[in-house]
Amino acid sequence: MINVQDIRDTARDLLAKGEVRAVIGWRAGSRGMAAEPCVVTKPEEADSLVWDPTCYHNLALQLVNDRKDLVHSKKTATAPIGIVAKGCDARAIVVLLQEHYFKREDVYIIGVSCENSGVLDERKVKAQVGGFAPSAAAFDGDNFSVKTAKGDKKLAGREVMADRCLECRTPFPKENNTAFGDDKTGREFDAQFAALARFEANDEAARWEFWQRQFDRCIRCFACRSVCPMCFCDECVVDSIEMKIAPETTAEEKANRIRWIERSAVRSENATYHMTRALHLAGRCVDCGECERVCPVNIPLRLLNTKMEREAREAFGFDPGASIGGPSLVASFRDDDPGEFIR
Amino acid sequence: MSEQTYEPKIVAFLCKWCSSAGSDLAGVSRIQYPANATPIQVPCSGSVSPMYILSALKKGADGVLVSGCHIGDCHYLEGNYLARRKLHLVKELLQFVGIEENRFRMSWVSAAEGAKFAEVVKEFVDDLRPMGPQEKLKAKRA
Amino acid sequence: MSMEKTLDKALLSDWIAAVTSGGWQVHGPALEDGIWTFKPVAASVDLDYPNVKQAPKDFAFPQREIFFAFEHIKGEAPRLKEVKPEAPQCAVFGVRPCDGRGAVRMDKVFSDNVNDPYYQERRKNTAYVGLACNAPPSPTCFCKSVGGSPVSSEGMDILLTDLGEIYIAQAATKTGEALMAAADKLFGKMGAADKKQLDKVHADAVAAPQRAVKDAKGAPAALKAGFDSAVWEEMAKPCIGCGICTFLCPTCHCFDINDEMTGMSPLKGQRVRTWDNCQFPDFTMHTSGHNPRETLGTRLRQRVSHKFRYFHENFGMLQCTGCGRCVSECPVGIDIVAVVNKVAEHVA
Repeated sequence: MINVQDIRDTARDLLAKGEVRAVIGWRAGSRGMAAEPCVVTKPEEADSLVWDPTCYHNLALQLVNDRKDLVHSKKTATAPIGIVAKGCDARAIVVLLQEHYFKREDVYIIGVSCENSGVLDERKVKAQVGGFAPSAAAFDGDNFSVKTAKGDKKLAGREVMADRCLECRTPFPKENNTAFGDDKTGREFDAQFAALARFEANDEAARWEFWQRQFDRCIRCFACRSVCPMCFCDECVVDSIEMKIAPETTAEEKANRIRWIERSAVRSENATYHMTRALHLAGRCVDCGECERVCPVNIPLRLLNTKMEREAREAFGFDPGASIGGPSLVASFRDDDPGEFIR
Repeated sequence: MSEQTYEPKIVAFLCKWCSSAGSDLAGVSRIQYPANATPIQVPCSGSVSPMYILSALKKGADGVLVSGCHIGDCHYLEGNYLARRKLHLVKELLQFVGIEENRFRMSWVSAAEGAKFAEVVKEFVDDLRPMGPQEKLKAKRA
Repeated sequence: MSMEKTLDKALLSDWIAAVTSGGWQVHGPALEDGIWTFKPVAASVDLDYPNVKQAPKDFAFPQREIFFAFEHIKGEAPRLKEVKPEAPQCAVFGVRPCDGRGAVRMDKVFSDNVNDPYYQERRKNTAYVGLACNAPPSPTCFCKSVGGSPVSSEGMDILLTDLGEIYIAQAATKTGEALMAAADKLFGKMGAADKKQLDKVHADAVAAPQRAVKDAKGAPAALKAGFDSAVWEEMAKPCIGCGICTFLCPTCHCFDINDEMTGMSPLKGQRVRTWDNCQFPDFTMHTSGHNPRETLGTRLRQRVSHKFRYFHENFGMLQCTGCGRCVSECPVGIDIVAVVNKVAEHVA
């Protein structure tokens, strides 16, 4: 088990010595049990950092935002930025490094291992504690303990852990500057791609029946995109804000402006959006599961992403987030890539 | 639309170095083949973004064909290798969400293979016709 | 309240049937794919539910509204064809008081100083059959501190209160009375004992503890004074700029208008209104490329100030109704209650 004070001390030290200009981590939230991402800039604030099973967020997103801030404000960083990273956060950082989003020396990774645990799934927790949302949660070995209005309660890890954590094989942040907790790489709670395999047993008609219902429900709040550290494009294909309009711009030019996806939240547009996103994340998604967690209308987005992940692994032997040096999935090929489907 | 009058609409993304010339050859050789495909010439099959395919289906295409140069013949050396990998993923994803396998097709057709191009289109049309119009991804606009 | 009656719970389905045969499409809460939504009701409906995930503002203000269709043949005058909203009469059962108060605020926006025929056509065909909250449906509720009440009938046509075996139905509008009159024989007279129990349930509901905006009355002034405060950027630090808070909100009403093309020669298409969102980067993007609200802090300030200051300046009431959706659903825990309190603290 990790002592949270170790994380705080490390952060305080790094800040005090000026080795980092800030530390991205989690602090206690103001509503309910959930922690929230934070950026600590002063040594004395380091004690606000927390590490508990509500640290859902993939903090690599905050690194992306920090990078964007620097670029937009035309500033140069005075020192690296520190980040507390779980296994999946670190895998996301590896993909960002692979894509040269920033340099390795720009980041100081304080790794935290999820060991034999993971983060909670709030929906599962609520079902277990009967409507009384807990006010706090903590790791308890393989299980969790939560505080509710009716008192403390122990919850079995396997029952309330997020699906993504049950399927996770790499709970230890391999890429790190310093790391806490035991390396449990290779642990196996649930068969990987189990949910995917179950879904694929459906026939074509049933699959479409399922997905059209999901696509119909999407409200296009873009939380899936916004929360994803890999969705870092300054202009997303759905936004189409690039066209500058001048007095001489004609109606035809405006009408012919490429709009791949309209703003209307209807099936065709939603389907195109989600499929485009899945393809854009192929070989990049590290299955942190954040998109599925934040979706307000419960679209099982991990299914789309893990489908691409398994395909990349099985057809092309590609493992996203495994190493910094390797090529990206769709910018590389092998002579023996499958091609039987081509006439 | 009744069974008899339904003609599938195909959007065909053809590499300008091979398949596009192959389709021309089919024409000048007076090979008979169905006129269901609307060709769009692209610089290389590797330049075909998955977005093109989804967009064509959204705009009401019944089938989408991507045709490029045989492996080893790419004008840009590796474009078709990249296309093969990328479009494999598109094919898998389409099937995953429940779009019929035969709505999307890929072929390698060289500039000398007019007859093969005609055959590819003919087969595609034959496969598409019994399936009827593609409504799943088509945008419904009043 | 002019009409107050009792309804045996077992008779709810008969009432719904009567309302349906009166030409209304009845909607009620349904759990689908794990989320509560209002869905058309076939037979009966279980009103024992927390609250719908997404506020029911879409009955009058759907996410997509077609304004008109157009066609432009070169050399000719453009031809326009008006598209009138298809607005069947909808009776929505189980609307919570925060969302009823939300409807009042939406009416202000689309009917007070402007005349939005699309909204008004839908709104006049919508009836809200509210459901009082005997207990707060969510730990994030804060309706009381923003001037509401868990038993408020504001914006409702009828307010139902659950008394265990029966509902008390209190009509608040003529439409509500008509909906009850449509099945008059199903309702019973509210006796003194019922009244006593109703008052107790209401008093208990109002007394139940909730989270609170500390000084809602002072919020408009505090937000004005704190406009340039550094706390905005600080609080927006974890914000990811998604649209959950606004799209689920009962009172967020900003929209975008686009032409969706259906043909290029001749130019053909339709003009549609879709919900827009002040948290998206392109919301305030100028055609020149300049964006006056480039940072997440300025966007958070905009949303919070609209709820607690600008709307108050325009209409004399707070826009936020305290439903708590933006608090419970925010992916990173940004909490409008904490934000307003913190800004007030900073300017105090």
